[in-house]
Amino acid sequence: MNPDILSGLGQSTALLPLLSTCIGVLAGLIVGMIPGLTISTGIIVVLPVTFVLPPDISIALLLGLYVGGMTGGSFSAVLLNIPGTPSASATGIDGFPLSSRGEAGRALGVAITASFVGGLFSFVCLLLIAPLLAEIALEFRSEDMFSLVFFGLTIICSFAARSLVKGLLSGALGLALVTIGQDPVMGTQRFTFGEANLMAGVSFLTALIGLFAIPQIIDNLVNKDRVKFAQTKVRSVFPKLRDLIAIRIPVFIGSFTGAFLGILPGAGGPIAAFISYDYSRKASKEPEQFGKGSVEGVAAPESANNAVTGGALIPMMTLGIPGDPVTAILIGALIVHGLAPGPLLFLERGDFAYSMIFSFFWANIFNFIIAILGVRFLVKLVAAPRALLMPTVAVLCVVGSYALRNNFFDVYVMLFFGCLGLAMRWLDMPVVPMLLALVLGRQLEENLRVALVASQGDVSVFFTSPISLTFLCLSALSIVWSLKTAGKQNQTNPKEPKS
Amino acid sequence: MRNKNIIAAIVLIAFGVFYGFLTANLPDRSLPNTPSPAFFPWIITAVILVLSVWLLVRGMRQPKVESEPIDVAKLKLAAAAMVFFLLYLAVMPILGFVLATLPFFAAMMVLYGEKRPIWIGSGAIGVTAVLYIVFRHGFGVFLPQGLLRGIIT
Repeated sequence: MNPDILSGLGQSTALLPLLSTCIGVLAGLIVGMIPGLTISTGIIVVLPVTFVLPPDISIALLLGLYVGGMTGGSFSAVLLNIPGTPSASATGIDGFPLSSRGEAGRALGVAITASFVGGLFSFVCLLLIAPLLAEIALEFRSEDMFSLVFFGLTIICSFAARSLVKGLLSGALGLALVTIGQDPVMGTQRFTFGEANLMAGVSFLTALIGLFAIPQIIDNLVNKDRVKFAQTKVRSVFPKLRDLIAIRIPVFIGSFTGAFLGILPGAGGPIAAFISYDYSRKASKEPEQFGKGSVEGVAAPESANNAVTGGALIPMMTLGIPGDPVTAILIGALIVHGLAPGPLLFLERGDFAYSMIFSFFWANIFNFIIAILGVRFLVKLVAAPRALLMPTVAVLCVVGSYALRNNFFDVYVMLFFGCLGLAMRWLDMPVVPMLLALVLGRQLEENLRVALVASQGDVSVFFTSPISLTFLCLSALSIVWSLKTAGKQNQTNPKEPKS
Repeated sequence: MRNKNIIAAIVLIAFGVFYGFLTANLPDRSLPNTPSPAFFPWIITAVILVLSVWLLVRGMRQPKVESEPIDVAKLKLAAAAMVFFLLYLAVMPILGFVLATLPFFAAMMVLYGEKRPIWIGSGAIGVTAVLYIVFRHGFGVFLPQGLLRGIIT
């Protein structure tokens, strides 16, 4: 057996990483269930803590939060019909009717169990596929990496289906911001205006805190009366045997769909949840019950969105390509610790890579235990006082930006990105494409230029390499698919013009 | 949507022109037959300008519709929060983390609708103290001490 596997297992089962995973799961469940807070915000809140912790403990905390957040999102979807996270949107379709007729505990029990199975399935996929993919990726040259990163950037299109041109512009703005600082090949200073703090470029995490957290703080402020909280009593959440038998096929469909779609950059939890919901309805013996409070309708999306987490970690760990905003943040967190995700992670720090995979396993175990035992108490937090919560998030944004380098300049940069995020929100421009461009932009430029230096400026190198050509074809397919999806959405919603 | 598209397009065209101007002034250092440091920024400039013009044309073609009235109360709330943020960051290097966070936190609680003075006071003091102790002493982050230098550790 690969010694890194045993070493990784040992590292992940040490007391502190296990405790960290546990805390992360608990925080994730809370963050996920509170409407108005997303998993991204939760991760941003704990980021400053991770800067000072050892990498294995930090990543265990973040993975716990990721997994817990996915499950927590279903709690408010079931109880209030308000998904705590976008991935839980499909859960409320059947979860809320169950809750309305006094079966909230049953719905939550099924959701937690399905999440657990989906998460474990994706762990197995991660453990088996990630090392193989990393080995293949080691053979990639600069032109292949450029095309791969370019393919990763086509995710922008799927996040911009509502307004493709605005999504692309958001991505282009992100790429422009990435060019601030030393250029990655010659070391020339670009767009720094003589400011020494900009020589290293714009910190991705600082930008991220501003782009995501500040608009959310303001959004919660101006819409503070939007969420009316209901007092729902949750009794037994342990699923009954007949429910477990009923959900076996939806859970299988959800787990498989979620893990597969998680691997594909950009597909993400919400899409996986809705697709598996649809497939499960088609496969069900009682499709007419879907939408009226079917446990199958709760199980399918819940297993899918938790299976997405392990799936999304595969391209993130092996290729350095984020599958969703949360894995993009995880990349940033790894880079802070000097651990660049990609094929070399398995080669140079195999023990760490496997400890990350096993931390993901423990996160799923703890998630099940904490959720099933603590859900009756946790749901009371759905009505957490916003007046205490959001100012705390605001202060943590400042502390988080400052703690990165003990530098006030980063706090101003965070506020700049906060204002930019607010302006983009007002102009209906998505911020996720900018985030992805900030993560991938530097790699894109570096590989493009290195490939052109090696080929003496011959661009045909991108089309003669089979790997590069494959990724370029996949990129074209991804763009065409997004354009088609956008076209369909416009046909069904003519008031929302494609732009 | 129409107006927003036009505004976004004009702002981005202006940004694209400015970015292009800065790119044109980048030092020209490169090996023969290889791209210079300005190569990638030129591509981005072109992409931004083309997409912005596309957005502008689309915006102009869209039918004029009654835009939703701006909710002045909400706008005032958002503006107040941003002003508090700016003031907070402006005074923190002088006052330090603790003295700057206390009024900022209290002000934000009021904005979020909290009216009970005891809750506001205890929330501001409690959260500020916990965050300072956790980050300063738990995680070794050198949060600015400002006027309290020598009084708190």
